[in-house]
Amino acid sequence: MSDVLHVEDLSAGYGPLGVLHGVSLTVRAGERVGIVGLNGHGKSTLLRAVAGLTGWQSGSIKLNGVEIGGTRSQGPGRYTHKIVRMGLALVPQGDALFHGLSVADHLDSGAYTRRAWRERKQRREHVLEIFPPLQKLLNQPVGKLSGGERRMVSLGRGLMDDARLLLIDEPSLGLAPKISNGLMQALMQIDIKEGAMVIAEQNLSLLEGKVSRLIGLHAGKLKGGALAPDLPVSELVHHAGHPHPHH
Amino acid sequence: MDPYYLFVTAVSLASIYGLLAIGISIIWSSLGMINLAQGFTFTVSGYGAWLVAQNVSTNGFVVVLGGVITGALAGALTGLLAFIPLYDKPNFPLRSLIATLAISLMGGQFLLWLFTPRVKALPKIFGVGSIHIGPATVSHDKIGSIVCSAILLLLTLAWMKGSRRGLEIRAMMQNPEGAALVGVGLRSTAMAVMMVTGAMAGLAAVLLSQTYFISPFAGTTPLVKGMVVALAGGLGSVAGAVIAAVLIGFVEAFTAVQLGGQYVLITQFLFIIAVLLVRPRGIAGMIEHSRE
Repeated sequence: MSDVLHVEDLSAGYGPLGVLHGVSLTVRAGERVGIVGLNGHGKSTLLRAVAGLTGWQSGSIKLNGVEIGGTRSQGPGRYTHKIVRMGLALVPQGDALFHGLSVADHLDSGAYTRRAWRERKQRREHVLEIFPPLQKLLNQPVGKLSGGERRMVSLGRGLMDDARLLLIDEPSLGLAPKISNGLMQALMQIDIKEGAMVIAEQNLSLLEGKVSRLIGLHAGKLKGGALAPDLPVSELVHHAGHPHPHH
Repeated sequence: MDPYYLFVTAVSLASIYGLLAIGISIIWSSLGMINLAQGFTFTVSGYGAWLVAQNVSTNGFVVVLGGVITGALAGALTGLLAFIPLYDKPNFPLRSLIATLAISLMGGQFLLWLFTPRVKALPKIFGVGSIHIGPATVSHDKIGSIVCSAILLLLTLAWMKGSRRGLEIRAMMQNPEGAALVGVGLRSTAMAVMMVTGAMAGLAAVLLSQTYFISPFAGTTPLVKGMVVALAGGLGSVAGAVIAAVLIGFVEAFTAVQLGGQYVLITQFLFIIAVLLVRPRGIAGMIEHSRE
């Protein structure tokens, strides 16, 4: 039962397009796992499949030992809210924010259980400790925020409830190197307790040495870390067909 | 022409059209559905209130409650028939438009069969007579309409602002995927939206029935006017709908006083055409910069 996420033989895609081909991986409690790979090789699709947001998918996905996968050919997002309520927080690419709502509203929206909703003020304080720049922006509509601030709002929203599995899709996307470094540091400071964190990232150097395990994803198939946890990073990069990091 | 009379008439009309328009607007922006059955909800609520007045009590509060509850139920029925089975199918906006149109037409025929074409009248729940506020003379039903609509509108806005469910609806209006990611169930939220907006239409029906009779197709004109107000205000904006309702109310009151009641629809449509020529997104485009 200490497996937070257990994926077996997962294939997924959109319409006629298959993106993932028989992916299997396990994420244990207390782990921070990095998934690296090029654009278009399935990182986002893997995370979105866990949340039930792909066009279609098949294969088993177990969250805290409970089956949330299975075969589905339509209705993307239909069960997402139920999966979320079982302890998943996904911070998607593009952040999926509510542009007219304030930062405070966003954080509150992340408190979906009765208990979290009751404690939302304390929890908000806790999130503001992790992302101090949001303190002054609490009453601003999110549409007026910068890219880095929006990413913080999206991450903070995911931290408001007691999610056991935190999936973060490309935290550095579209941000200046300095800001993405700061953001990555904040992510590493989050106390994941009994849970786990999975970060999908194209920029390998941001994750190197910070996560417990790196997994390469190439052409919809896993390379490296999923099977051999201690694969050297150079090997992994080679397997994943990843170019040398630019930053 | 008495300017106070004009003002009070305009505001009381605005409060009734506003209730319908805000409902149409919220449904459009949160569910992506143009609800043509809002007129049917309106009509059914009138009959619901009439049945309550005939069989239960003619107490004003009870009659209003009867209309509001009937409206919420009719809204839920529309949601069950036109939203739940269709929302994840391709071409949902068009399909749901046709489904709600079908509900509206079939519902009208059903009411015609059930209640016969003979019109019904609600008891005067606010009493007959008028009061003087400063230099203005205001009839009871007008002041009642304004006060009741204002109360329901404020309650709804406070609920949207302060409760978890309200936050979920506002979140869904802005980004359905983001809403799902914070545990918002589309279907249950949609039913909540349909019931609240149905209740608004129900109150509007009881209020307008203080002036007009209840008949099987009584909802058609209010639906058209609610639609006009929602469009002129900018679909999806509550503030825009309120402003547009006041403006449309003035156009109607002014036209009725100056030119005669038969020209009301003409001037109203000229007005909305003018608004949409200048502001294709409606009035709210001026105040809500965040809508992109």
